[in-house]
Formats: sequence, C-alpha cells, structure tokens
Amino acid sequence: MTALLEVQDLHKHFGGVQAVTACSFTAAEGQITGLIGPNGAGKSTAIDLISGFKVPDTGTVRFEGKEVQGKAPHVVSRMGLIRTFQSPREWPGLSVLENLILACFEPRRERFWRSLWGPSRAEKERANEQLIHARAVLDEFGLLHLRNERAGNLSGGQKRLLEFGRIRMAEPRLVILDEPMGGVNPVLGERMASAVLGFVKAGTSVVIVEHNLPFIERVTDQVVVMAEGRVIAEAPFDQLRGNQAVVDAYLGEMPTYDDADA
Amino acid sequence: MIDYLVSVLTEGSIFAIMALGLNIIWGWSGDFDLAFYGYVALGAYMTLVLTIGPATSPTTYILGLSLPFPIAVAIAVISSMLLALIVGAIALRHLRGIYFSIVTLGAVYVLYTFAGQFVPLFNGYNGLSGLFDPMGDFFNLDFTSYPFFYLGLCVVVLCVVLFLVTRLSGSRFGLALRSLREDERAAAAFGRGIYVMKLKAYVIGAGIGGLGGALFAGYLSAFNPSAWSPVETIVLYAAILVGGRGSNRGVVLGVAVMVMGLQEATRYLPEIANQPSFAPAFRLILTGVILVLFIRFRPQGLLPERRLRDKDPAGTGGTAVAAGNAVAGATLDTGAA
Repeated sequence: MTALLEVQDLHKHFGGVQAVTACSFTAAEGQITGLIGPNGAGKSTAIDLISGFKVPDTGTVRFEGKEVQGKAPHVVSRMGLIRTFQSPREWPGLSVLENLILACFEPRRERFWRSLWGPSRAEKERANEQLIHARAVLDEFGLLHLRNERAGNLSGGQKRLLEFGRIRMAEPRLVILDEPMGGVNPVLGERMASAVLGFVKAGTSVVIVEHNLPFIERVTDQVVVMAEGRVIAEAPFDQLRGNQAVVDAYLGEMPTYDDADA
Repeated sequence: MIDYLVSVLTEGSIFAIMALGLNIIWGWSGDFDLAFYGYVALGAYMTLVLTIGPATSPTTYILGLSLPFPIAVAIAVISSMLLALIVGAIALRHLRGIYFSIVTLGAVYVLYTFAGQFVPLFNGYNGLSGLFDPMGDFFNLDFTSYPFFYLGLCVVVLCVVLFLVTRLSGSRFGLALRSLREDERAAAAFGRGIYVMKLKAYVIGAGIGGLGGALFAGYLSAFNPSAWSPVETIVLYAAILVGGRGSNRGVVLGVAVMVMGLQEATRYLPEIANQPSFAPAFRLILTGVILVLFIRFRPQGLLPERRLRDKDPAGTGGTAVAAGNAVAGATLDTGAA
C-alpha cells in the first residue's frame, strides 16, 4: 500500500482566520479515503490547497511522489488529480454528451493549428471511440436518453451523476469528491455509493469529503477527521467510535447505516 | 441603385468579418471585450500608413510606405494581434466579467485618444487618406468596375473566414473554449489552462477584427477618429446577440439584420422638423429596443449555437453511427457551427 497523496504540515490563513493548521494525512493508492469534520474544520480549504485552487502558506502536497503545492489547477489536473466541487459544476450550455467528451483532456487535439487543419484519420477514430465510451458511461448512470439535452436543464441529482460520469471519462489517478451526496435522496445515494466503488475498480483512487456518515461508513477504507483546521484522527471508520476526541468534535451520538435506511 | 446595393453588401461583408472575430472572443470564450473596435481601427490605420506613401507637409504619420495592399493587410492583421496580445495578457490574467470589460474599455480609449492627439502616429484627428482602389491598377480596373471587384474581394475573404471559423468552432479547440465560457473552474479542474486558452482566442478574434478593419480602410479609402469610436463595438455585439451568440451562421445573419437591414431601413426616414440628427438617434433607439426584446424573448438568437448531437437514435452502438455518417468523428468534429 503506497501513499498516492501525501499532505504534510499544510497551513493556510485568511486574514485572522487560521483555516488549515498543520494538516497532514495520506491517501493510499486503490483506496477510498474519507475526509470528515464539522463545518469550518478546513476540509474544503484543504482540498482547494491540494488541487491548486488555493496556494498554501506553508507545507507540502505530494502526488505520486511529486510536489504539487502551489501549482496551477490545470497542471495538477493534468498530472491525474481531478476534484469536484460542492455544488455540481457542469457546463450548463453544452450538451450532456459534450460535457462527457470534454472531461477527457487531449492537449494534442485541442491545439489551435491542429483544430484548424482538421482531425487526422486516427483522431477521428479516437473521437468515435470516445463517443461510444461516453454512451456506455451515460448508460451506466441512467443519463443516456438525456445525452443531447442541455446539461443546465438536468435536475440536481442528474447533475451529480453527470459529474460522476465526467470522472469516469477522465479516468484520473485520484479524484477528490467534495460533498457528492449534498441534496441527494437515498435511492440515488445508493447508486452513487456503487459508482464510487466503481471508480476504484476502474483504477481511480478516491478522497471523499462528506457529512453523510452512513455513506462514509459504507464506502471508505480509511477516514481522516479534521477539526479546527487540524487532523485529529486517521483511522478506519469503525475505530473512530472509540476515539473520544472525534466523538466530542464531530460524531456525538453515532448513527449507523441501518438507522439511516429506516 | 446597383451602386448602392454594392456598397451595402461590401460594408455588410466587412462587418460580418469583424463580427465573426468578436464572436470568438465573446461567443465562444465568453469575454465581453470592449476594446474590439480598437483592433479594427488599428487594422485600418496600419493598412493606410503602409500603402499611402510618405507623408507630405502638413500631414505627419509614421511609416508611410507604399507596400502592395495584400502585404499591408497581412502586417495590419499582425499589428492588431500584437496589440491584443498586450491588452489581453494584462486584462485576462485575473479579471473576468465586468472588470475585464472596464479594463478593455480603458485600453480602447487610450488607443482612441492616442490616435487622435499624438499626431506623428496616424496624423491625429485629421486622420489618414489616399488609399484609392487598392489592387485596382494591378487588375486594370476603372472606377466603374472597381466596386464590383472590391465587393467580390470582401465576399471571398468573408467566405474564407467563415470556413475557417466554422472549422474551429466544431473542433476540440472550439469546444474547449466554450467550456471556459460555461464554467471556468470546472474547465481548470479538467485540465484546461484558462489564461493561455482565453488569450489565444482573444488574439485570434482580434486578428480577424484587424482583417475587417484593413478591408474597411480599403473601402473607405480614409480613416480618422471621427470615422470610428469605441462605441461601434456595441453594434457588433447587437448583431451577434440577434443572430445567435456563438453561432457563426447566426452572426452573419445578425449582421445582415442589424447592420445592413436596420441601417438601410432607417436611412430614408423623413426628416422631422429639420432635425438632422433624428435618423441616427432613432436608429440607436431601435437597436436598443430590438436588443431588449431579444434578450427577453429569444436570448439564443435567430440561429442558435448548435450543440454536438448524437444522431444514433438508440445511442447504444458505435457501428450504426459509423455507417450512418461515414465516420462518427465527422459528427463530432463538425457538429457545432
């Protein structure tokens, strides 16, 4: 088990607010790592720092052994680390199919001169393969009949699924999901849980920020708990119940997955 | 009558070229650029100073070369692109939305004031003149047949530009640019370098604007600050909005409606109570009303931007599409127009 993502001693402050303090954790290859904690714990800031959307004051982020802190978001993304956002960020004016196809970043095909000159035979074939792949992914997420629809017209839940579809298309080494279950009903939640497990099967490791604890319990191998900007625990979920600091800071009375279903 | 028609069509083609350039910047990558007419004007000025020969007192201007028209046009386009590179490099770095617009508006007013006040550059407010019938001698054309030739030239250039931008529009480059317009942060999360891509689009759009300006100079044979003002950009925006933002065919139609149609339809309005400014004012009011109506009732324009469509009805197989459309890649790569 090797650490795919290694966060070491991250600090970030906004004015007088210390958002992230000495945050260190690792996410292992082939695993699903949960990142939980009360509001204001610094989870969102931490993933902004990891994915390049914010620059840390100090500290290092290593992805596949390479330092990525302070690099631009698109550079981090091209290295194989893709993140999602708290609210789904589809490209609303583009079709569902276009949303999926654009999830694959292809520097060669997107060059200006290449585009002006027109696609080569191999690129046309590649585009065709991509279309077929996109259809299969849409079918998996139950969005196939909507493929020519404007993505902005989808419902909230469908947009979440579209986001997942884009991740499947992009096939990153690691994906950071920022509250994917926000506003999602239990039936859809079940589908999303299996989708997250599907990411790992497809070779994408997962870091997941979520408040839905039954969901975290169900899918994660390891959980990182943050509170007040620092990591207070790092353990498999079932061991967290016994950790008094975690119970005090976040868990309180512990719901189980069965309770949530009932 | 025929002369009138020829001049309307020539002007329409030139404006359509400019609008296609602006469409790349606003329609595709989504930046509301107010400096655009500056690139058009620079294209026109540069074409003139490169073709009309040395300045004779009391006029003064830089360069004053007597280059062949096509070479002058090429240099004019490159100048516009260089200026756009400088303005864009500053304005696109961190600014978006209205803040970007304000900076570009500032930039174009600097250029406007500079062109007007700094006489050695382009002869100040008197401007430049003397480009008569470019390439007319080369083709042995007299003044009666020349307008037809120039109309033909402008239409051919428009067709070439339209062909190229349509090609770009449906390509991965065009599609990726649209993702910046739709959601920049998501585009960055999926690997797009926002700044460089936006700057590319900005410079390409400005280059096409400069090309339109160069042809405009040949058509007007003169150019000075009273012939343009930064506000002219709004006319191009009106054409794009009415035609269909992001859609190339829509933009050409929009120019036909808003620039050629509206302009000419209001040209022969009767003068009211000896108010010579009535017709131009009325035209502006009418433009505003049409814009409001379109934004309210048909924001996508007359010919909306086309989205990539999967034409396979079931959407399950790959071979069905390949058989139906020769190569499915063709559906992908020319889908948007």
